[in-house]
Amino acid sequence: MRFIAEDAIPRLLEHLAGGGRTVWAPRVVRDSVNTVLFAPWSAGEPVETGAYTHLSAKAALLPPTERLFGFGYLQAAGEERIELEPEEPEESPVLFGARVCDARALAALDALFFPASGGFNDPGYAGRRSGLTVITLACTTCDSACFCSSFGKGPAETDGSDLILYPVANGFLAEPVTDAGSELVRLDLFQDSRLEKPELAVTARVETAGLREKFIDLFSDIDLWRQVSEKCLSCGFCAYACPACHCFNIFDEMSGDREGERCRSWDSCMFYSYTLETSGHNPRPEIAHRYRNRIGHKFSYFPANRGEILCTGCGRCIRGCPAGVDIREVIRTVQER
Amino acid sequence: MSTIPKSGINAKIPLLPERASITRVIQETPAVRTYRLVFDDPGMMAAFSFEPGQIGQMSILGAGESTFAISSPPSQKDYIQFSVMKTGVVTTAIHELSAGDRVAVRAPMGRPFPVNAWKGKDIVIAGGGIGMAPLRSLLMHLLDHRGDFGRIQAVYGARTPADLCFAGDREEWERRDDIEFIATVDSGHPDWSGSVGVVPGVLESMSPPPANAVAVTCGPPVMIKYTLESLEKLGFAADQVFTTLERRMKCGVGLCGRCNVGAKYVCTDGPVFSLRDLRALPDEL
Ligand SMILES: Cc1cc2nc3c(=O)[nH]c(=O)nc-3n(C[C@H](O)[C@H](O)[C@H](O)COP(=O)(O)OP(=O)(O)OC[C@H]3O[C@@H](n4cnc5c(N)ncnc54)[C@H](O)[C@@H]3O)c2cc1C
Ligand code: SF4
Ligand code: SF4
Ligand code: FES
Repeated sequence: MRFIAEDAIPRLLEHLAGGGRTVWAPRVVRDSVNTVLFAPWSAGEPVETGAYTHLSAKAALLPPTERLFGFGYLQAAGEERIELEPEEPEESPVLFGARVCDARALAALDALFFPASGGFNDPGYAGRRSGLTVITLACTTCDSACFCSSFGKGPAETDGSDLILYPVANGFLAEPVTDAGSELVRLDLFQDSRLEKPELAVTARVETAGLREKFIDLFSDIDLWRQVSEKCLSCGFCAYACPACHCFNIFDEMSGDREGERCRSWDSCMFYSYTLETSGHNPRPEIAHRYRNRIGHKFSYFPANRGEILCTGCGRCIRGCPAGVDIREVIRTVQER
Repeated sequence: MSTIPKSGINAKIPLLPERASITRVIQETPAVRTYRLVFDDPGMMAAFSFEPGQIGQMSILGAGESTFAISSPPSQKDYIQFSVMKTGVVTTAIHELSAGDRVAVRAPMGRPFPVNAWKGKDIVIAGGGIGMAPLRSLLMHLLDHRGDFGRIQAVYGARTPADLCFAGDREEWERRDDIEFIATVDSGHPDWSGSVGVVPGVLESMSPPPANAVAVTCGPPVMIKYTLESLEKLGFAADQVFTTLERRMKCGVGLCGRCNVGAKYVCTDGPVFSLRDLRALPDEL
């Protein structure tokens, strides 16, 4: 296998950024509270290869707010006209330091936003996705919130990655998954190595088999949903942190009174206003209704429609929930009914 | 699962609307105005086709985008028509438009009424309030192909005579003898000589025979609830009854996640559902 020394990583990132591509990497963005997030990297900045990111890597593909098109009202020859200016697709970035749980969530996003995977033509997503390079850091340790071992090959999953880096003494063993990955390990930043791949982490497990049907059977058991969501504040953090949550809002923003832009932004089905109708009617008025939808979409509806579970066991919603809601306990409670 | 719109929308970029212009505004009731519009691109207009029950999204760029049923029939090639009730931000902005104003439209979207499967059958239509918009398209389509269908009975209700839309069409439907049409109001008025009573009651008094028939109902939730009960009483089975669902929508193409009822999306799997399909959905309406 090939090996790259820890201190060669900045040069690898410089190489990747060389063609003008944006390199996203885990970075400490707020020292005071030690917040680590995926963010665009520039030369000289430190990269966090050891810590977990508080939010997933999805912002590299689905920005929190994204312009869909610009518009303007023009006066020409006494007549008003509308101009529409679709956003030019961005160049595909490099995602360095994703975890297996970030990379494998791409399959779910692709199923919706990427025509090559049967999704819609979403020019913004497709532009960023088509030449995306994903360099994943394998996990040899985990924390108490991780539960990716519940899904597929767990920490050994290679789906979504181009190159996987396994931490070893003073650096990383590099295992290519795709041609793009193979090309990278031919760089002279990498050397041959006889080291063995390290043991990967073994995380907590929950049983997801049968959940698709079980959820439908228990849909009407509102007491169950009230019980599992009792602590939830409906704050929406879990959706923003999640690598697989992708629901969005669309809104117009004017700049002056002749032009503006239509944008979309991350949204969450945990918000009361998400389904609120103009009449005042809301099909999901209670937090329990909304939390039920969150679980249903992830483990029943999306699997039925697109064949993917919308959870990779990354644990971010568990670590970050201000109320201590643990999606694993919810799944266990549902499975035990 | 989803049907990507093939015309009238820039199918290459589903969230990008087409430019269109208002050609005529009709004040239907104090709260409802009908807008006729054409795509600015004549090729787009010529290629536009849809089926009754399909929906469109009209944008006032800067105010936002809202979902409306197409209320004109497919045979109407000169314009596309939406009938808009003024309720919130976007619909209030729409109510400020007049002929010549520029808008943006994405259409058609959603699944239509399965009219081709209804050939040879009797058709019963029960509409209330703004729910008559898709049913106007349907009824006019049935009349355009009158020979393909059996008996047609229709009831359309509103709160008061002043709240009834489509005055010209109603006159024609009342006059024609190849359709039984009754307009009814919840509470009458000295100038109103027509039917007074709620839609389900009038429907029952018309006693449509259920054998080889389908019934279609759109309107406010209470009306739908009691109309479904009446249809059941009349002997209509769940797979003979069709309705449309409303959910708050954004993308209209099954992407934004907003309009689901269980695993079904109202924007792409609906808005038309049979009562049998509805009963298979989780109870979250
Ligand atoms: C399938 C279908 C068919 C329909 N057919 C018709 C029809 O033929 N005729 C008709 O009149 N109506 C129809 N409707 C209803 C129509 O779509 C709504 O009345 C309309 O969208 C209301 O828009 P508004 O902007 O006026 O309301 P508002 O409630 O003011 O919404 C304005 C905008 O602001 C946003 N907004 C409002 N409140 C919030 C909030 N709390 N948080 C975040 N964002 C918010 C909304 O997203 C919306 O885009 C139909 C609806 C559906 C789903
Ligand atoms: S993060 Fe926790 S409190 Fe906030 S919406 Fe999610 S489950 Fe509820
Ligand atoms: S639901 Fe929670 S654990 Fe699952 S992928 Fe999303 S954030 Fe991670
Ligand atoms: S409106 Fe976006 S999914 Fe239906």
